[in-house]
Amino acid sequence: MIDFAIWAGRLLRLIIGVTFVYAGVVKALSPIRFTSDIHNYRLLPWSMAVALAFYLPWLEIWCGLALLLGRLYRAAIALLVGLTLIFIVVSASARIRGIDISCGCFGHLSNNLSFGRHLGLNIILLVALIALWSSKHLRRTVPA
Amino acid sequence: MVRRGLIREILVLLCLALLPALGQAFYFRDRISWRKPARQDEITVSQARSLTGTVMWLDARPDGEFAAGHIPGAKLLNAEHWDGLLPEVLNAWTPGQKVIVYCSKQSCDASHEVARRLREEANLKNVFVLEGGWEAWQESAK
Repeated sequence: MIDFAIWAGRLLRLIIGVTFVYAGVVKALSPIRFTSDIHNYRLLPWSMAVALAFYLPWLEIWCGLALLLGRLYRAAIALLVGLTLIFIVVSASARIRGIDISCGCFGHLSNNLSFGRHLGLNIILLVALIALWSSKHLRRTVPA
Repeated sequence: MVRRGLIREILVLLCLALLPALGQAFYFRDRISWRKPARQDEITVSQARSLTGTVMWLDARPDGEFAAGHIPGAKLLNAEHWDGLLPEVLNAWTPGQKVIVYCSKQSCDASHEVARRLREEANLKNVFVLEGGWEAWQESAK
């Protein structure tokens, strides 16, 4: 049973790590588009959107790599939980304000996802991250 | 003690992300403006795509760039051949039709200039500028 939990943890780490590395790379390749995506939320000034468009993708890439490699592991989970929570809140806020936009989370692939699916995907990621953080069995998958 | 270690590790990750971000910001320094112009007439690619009804697309780039590629259905209208191109544009335009002008990228200004002249000289309403221009359009089509 413990072996199963360890393998499940490894698989979960792999999936989440690859997901965030992919999301980061896609956005890092198109910072201009990502700037517009951030600015479309109408929460931040343009200059801040530009700064975040350059910074956030790399933060996702490093956190994803940290998960995959098992280094700076808890810090990566803490940051990714924070990022995912922020995304859920700003997406809901945009929805409440009647702004129909693409989140830009996964580059052009985001255009094919509805708001509900985006939200669902992020809630799944959040739950998985919290599971990795809190389960002692899942933590055992991290190299010492 | 554990919490202090966690905070230190978080700071390490935050700093690691800063280095490539600064490099990328330097690389893109001429391609993206840090100052958002106080313009209310800009429209994003996704907003433009979601517009209902027919939209007239106007390409404000030089002739060569237009010939190399443009938004499907777009007409050329640039400052270089303004007098020659404007009549054709006005003939094709129908009253009430929305007009979206674009140039090469976010930092170019030709689209704003063409939009201004259309409003002032041709008295057109509903003239918008595509945010990010041709570059943003191409990226959205990838």
